[in-house]
Amino acid sequence: MSSAAARIRAALAVLIAWALPQAGAADEIVVAGAVSLRAPLQEIVRRYEATRPGVRLVLTSGASSFLAAQLRAGAPIDLLVAADTRIVDDLVSEGLVNASDRQTLATNRLVAMARPGLSPSPTNAAALATPGIRRIAMPDGAVPVGRYAREWLARRGLLDRLAPRFVLTEHARATLAAVDAGHADVALVYATDARLARHATIAFEIPAAEQPRIVYGVALVRDAAPEAAGFFSWLASPTARQILQRAGFGAP
Amino acid sequence: MSGAELLAITALTVRVGAAATLAILPFAVALAWLLARRPPPGESLIRALVALPMVLPPVAVGLVLLWLLGRRGPAGPLWEALGVDLVFTWWAAALAAAVVGFPLLTRACEQAFADVDPRYEQVARSLGTSRLSTFFRVTLPLARRGVLYGTILAFTRRLGEFGATTLVAGILPGRTETLALGIYSRVQLGEDGAALTLCGVSFAIGLAAMWAAERWLRRESQ
Repeated sequence: MSSAAARIRAALAVLIAWALPQAGAADEIVVAGAVSLRAPLQEIVRRYEATRPGVRLVLTSGASSFLAAQLRAGAPIDLLVAADTRIVDDLVSEGLVNASDRQTLATNRLVAMARPGLSPSPTNAAALATPGIRRIAMPDGAVPVGRYAREWLARRGLLDRLAPRFVLTEHARATLAAVDAGHADVALVYATDARLARHATIAFEIPAAEQPRIVYGVALVRDAAPEAAGFFSWLASPTARQILQRAGFGAP
Repeated sequence: MSGAELLAITALTVRVGAAATLAILPFAVALAWLLARRPPPGESLIRALVALPMVLPPVAVGLVLLWLLGRRGPAGPLWEALGVDLVFTWWAAALAAAVVGFPLLTRACEQAFADVDPRYEQVARSLGTSRLSTFFRVTLPLARRGVLYGTILAFTRRLGEFGATTLVAGILPGRTETLALGIYSRVQLGEDGAALTLCGVSFAIGLAAMWAAERWLRRESQ
């Protein structure tokens, strides 16, 4: 009886020790990045870690607006890469980021994608208003790609007419996933994300003159870990720029 | 998805579930005993309050936790003075899991205590055994089947906690990304294959835990 109790106590002690969070996690730098930058950021992080032994980075991806909201709520984020410099502007004016600790990283373009089998596939903005297009995948207007897409549709005078057809998605990549899986008829996505489609195809390119200005911004958070500053600088290195360029992003 | 990533998510999920279960076990057992043996006045209200996290939308539970733990909530000055920041940490994930799992465990334990014939306890007391000793040497051993079953059930249920966790703990890989959060974020990324792999792991853990619990119950009842 007592030996059984002792064994149970020992097993419990081991379980408790294992279940508690391990020390050391605090040395990591948390990088929160726009989901559209996920693959190149993963590569940039890997390359950076290779040059700095002992430095560990954790990458979390999501809608830039959602990541910024997490940062405001107190998430332990050291560095934010947002798909819209206006998100960084807000963080600076709120005092969460010093005005000197920001930079632009890359640019992007919007394209219109059609689900596999959509016929007729739209070939221009006006064609988006035809009755055959019932669902347009689009994140909330706070999410960068949702904001850019709305800006373009508003410029073309189509926003109010098309808004009832919007199906709300979480972020840029979820928008691509929706049209790629055929859950939405069309979607306005980043040109860099369009490359990742497996089934959906580009319906048409948005003319350069009508493109919204899509600029990615980096913010080094005010209370960031000291090592985060090194990564912030490294994002401007030729290696990082080259990785972004290969993924289809433009130079800032 | 790499094997290391899969292992990290799985280990984190099990650790969060185990820590949360162990942390609430003494409280759930104590409350369950009280409700089964010494029902306090306003018993129905207490029961209803205990059940609340089980019936509320988990996201609502998460929002309340975020408010309580956040820097801008009523306890904000306290957290700041103590220098602790629980939001978006492993602790927040465990806390969310504990709160949501508490009703399940309390209910199971209460049922287990109610099934113990009070006459055994009366005999022990009449022989001069203290109240505490009676609990540990008579009541708890007789109720162990139900308590253990409830513990495993609460642990397994907790593996899937999503709504409260995502609000209060975020989805930080290696820190708060559990199986449920990992499945969700991968579906959003269109990485269906990786999401299905994580589904498979959830399935395997859930099945193994529940199968072990059922086998243990059968062995004990023979």
